Amino acid sequence: MLVRIWALAKKEFLHLRHDWWLPAFMLIGGSMELLLVGWATSRPITNLPLRVLDHDRSPASRRLIMALENTGTFELDGFASNMASLRDSLDRGEINAAVIIPPDYAKQLASSIGRPTVAVILNGAESIPASEALRAVEGVVTHLGQRVALQRLRREPERFAGFDPSLRVWFNESLSKALYTTPAELGLMLEFTVLLFAALAFSRERELGTLEQLLVMPFSSAELIIGKAIPALVVGFTDFWIMLAMVHAVFDVPLRGSLLLLFVLAFLYVLVELSKGLVLSVISRTQHQAFLLVMLVGMADFMFTGYAVPVEGMPRALQFLANFVPAHHWLTILRGILLKSAGLDVLWSHVLALLLLGAVVMTFSWRFVRRALD
Amino acid sequence: MDAQRPAILAQDLVKRFGDFTAVNGVSFEVQPGQIFGFLGPNGAGKTTTIRMILGLLKPTAGRAEVLGLPVAQAAAQIRPRVGYMSQRFSLYNDLTVRQNLTFFGRAYGLSDAELAERMRQALDMAGLAGREHVRTKDLSGGWRQRLALSAAVLHRPQVLFLDEPTAGVDPVSRRAFWDMLYSLAAEGVTVLVTTHYMDEAEHCQRLAFIQRGRLTACGSPEEIKRSLMPGPVLELAPADAGAALQALRRAQQAGRLPPAEIELYGSRLHVVAPEAHRLRRPIARALKAAGLDPGPMDLIEPSLEDVFIASMR
Repeated sequence: MLVRIWALAKKEFLHLRHDWWLPAFMLIGGSMELLLVGWATSRPITNLPLRVLDHDRSPASRRLIMALENTGTFELDGFASNMASLRDSLDRGEINAAVIIPPDYAKQLASSIGRPTVAVILNGAESIPASEALRAVEGVVTHLGQRVALQRLRREPERFAGFDPSLRVWFNESLSKALYTTPAELGLMLEFTVLLFAALAFSRERELGTLEQLLVMPFSSAELIIGKAIPALVVGFTDFWIMLAMVHAVFDVPLRGSLLLLFVLAFLYVLVELSKGLVLSVISRTQHQAFLLVMLVGMADFMFTGYAVPVEGMPRALQFLANFVPAHHWLTILRGILLKSAGLDVLWSHVLALLLLGAVVMTFSWRFVRRALD
Repeated sequence: MDAQRPAILAQDLVKRFGDFTAVNGVSFEVQPGQIFGFLGPNGAGKTTTIRMILGLLKPTAGRAEVLGLPVAQAAAQIRPRVGYMSQRFSLYNDLTVRQNLTFFGRAYGLSDAELAERMRQALDMAGLAGREHVRTKDLSGGWRQRLALSAAVLHRPQVLFLDEPTAGVDPVSRRAFWDMLYSLAAEGVTVLVTTHYMDEAEHCQRLAFIQRGRLTACGSPEEIKRSLMPGPVLELAPADAGAALQALRRAQQAGRLPPAEIELYGSRLHVVAPEAHRLRRPIARALKAAGLDPGPMDLIEPSLEDVFIASMR
C-alpha cells in the first residue's frame, strides 16, 4: 500500500517539477499579494485631496480649513472659485472632498445666537475614503462646536475639561488594520493554493485521458486520494509557513500562542481544503472547469474570512452559513492563536467543526473517485 | 483459474446514458490465450463495453466476469491481473520513458529486481533501449503505442484490453505492434482488441461485430464471412472507377440493374450480392450504355471489409 502511494506521489511530484511555474506562481504570487494588501491596508487613509469654496474669506474660515488639514486626513488641493468648478472636479474624481463655507460664516460664529453652517461634499463612490473623511470632518466640527458653546457661556475653552473616557484596545493595541487583514489574506491565499492543486489532481488526468489507466491500476480509492494529496499538502504547507513568516516579520503580527498547536491545526485545515479541492476535481470534466469552480468556491468563502465584513456583523442567515465554511473556522483559530494566545480550551468548537467538515467532504471524494468516468 | 472458464465473459451487458442506450445486451466469451477482435464503427459501443468489463463503468444491466471473477464484486482482485491501453494515449507525456515504466511497475508492486529486469525487457520489446530518458511526448506515434503496450504488460497480466491501440499509427508500426501482440498471445495472454483496421481484424482468432450497441456477428473471421456473406464478390477494374460507380448507381435507380452493394475499393469496384456472377452482363451493359469501358471482372473471396460494410447496411 505504501509503495503504491509513494509511486503515485512521486509521479505527481514529477508533474509538478515539469509544471514548475504553477507552484512557483502560487507561492510567489500569493506572497506578493499578501505584501501588497498588507501594506495598503496597514496605513491609515491620509492626504485625501480637498478643495474649498470659501465665500467668507475670514480668519475664522481659514481656521476651519486649517483644522481640517491638521487632521492629516485631508490635504488642501486648492480653492475653487465657484460651485460649477467644484462639481466638475468631484465628477472627474480629482478630489475626494469639498468644503463650502457660506459668506456669513464668521458673523454667525461670532454672534451669540448665530447658527454657523458649513457644507461638506464627499465622494461616496469611494465609500471607504468617504467614511474616513466623514469621521475627520465630524471630529473637527464637534470640537469647534464645543469651543463655540463654551465661548458663548463666557468660559475659557482651554481651561475646560470635558468627558474623558479611558479607552483600551486588547489584542491589537494600536488598532493596526494589518493585524486583522493580513491573517485573512493569508487564509485566503492558502485556501486558493490548496484548492487549486487538489482540483487539478484528477481533472488533469481526466483531460489528458490517463485517468482510466489510473483507475484500472491496483490502487484503492484511499490510495489514489492520499497519493494525489501529498504534493498538494506539501505545497500548501510550504505556502503557509512562508506567508506566516512574512506576516510576522513584515507586518509585526505577533505569534502569541502555541506554534505547535498552530502547526497541527494548519495541517488539519489544509486537509479539509484539500478534500474540498478533490471533490471539485472529481466532478469537473476539464482543468478549466476545475479552475473556475475553485474561483467560485474561493470567492464565496472569501466572504466568510471576515476580510471585507466581520462575520459577526452579517445577517443571521449568513452567520449560520459561516459554520459550514472551513475558512471561517480557520480564521477564528488563526487569529485566536496569533493575537490572543488562545488554546484548545477556547478553540475546541472550531476545531471540532473543521474535523466534521473534513470528514464529510473527504467521504464524499472517497466515494466518488471511482465513479469519475460515469 | 478454472481451465473451463473463459478469460472474459460478457453476459447481456446493457449501458444507458439517460435516454441513450450505448450498449444493448452484448454477450460474448473469450477463451484463454485468444486474440479477440472487437469491430464496429465509431460510437457503436466498443469502448463502453470494455469499460464495463474493466469495472470503470457500472452496467445498467447484465454482468461481466474476468478470469472467472465477477467484475461487480471482485474488481480489486481483477485489477492486478489485467492490463489496459485506453483509446487515448495512456502514458504521461511529460514523463520520460523510464519514469513512465517505473510508475507502472511500482503501481503494480514490482520489486526493484523485477522492475529492472522487466524494464529491460519492455525497452527491448518496444525497441526503445537507449532512449529511456526521452520524454514520452517527443516519441513518434508508433513508438508511443509500443511503449504504452510494453507498460501495460509490464506486470505480466493474464488478460489484456486494448482499445483502438493502433489508431493513427503508420502501417510499419502497426505491423510491429501486432508482432508484439502475437508473441504475448503465444505466452498465453488473452487479448481483447478493438480496431477499425480490417487487415488487423483478419489477424484475430475470433471477432465480434458491434453496431448501435448490439452484436451483429461473432465467430472466427471465416465463420463471419460465411454467415454474413453467402458467395463471392464481383470485382471490377474499370478505367475510371469513380465514373463507373456513378453510372452503375444511376442504372440501379433507373431499375436497369438489380439491387446490390457497390463500393469503391481504391481503383476497383466491389459488387456484393447473393449471386454476384449473374450481374456481369447487366453491369457491362450499363457501363457501355454510359460510354465507359467495363474492364476485367473477377469473382473473388470477400474480404472482411466487404463483410463489415455489408453488415453495416
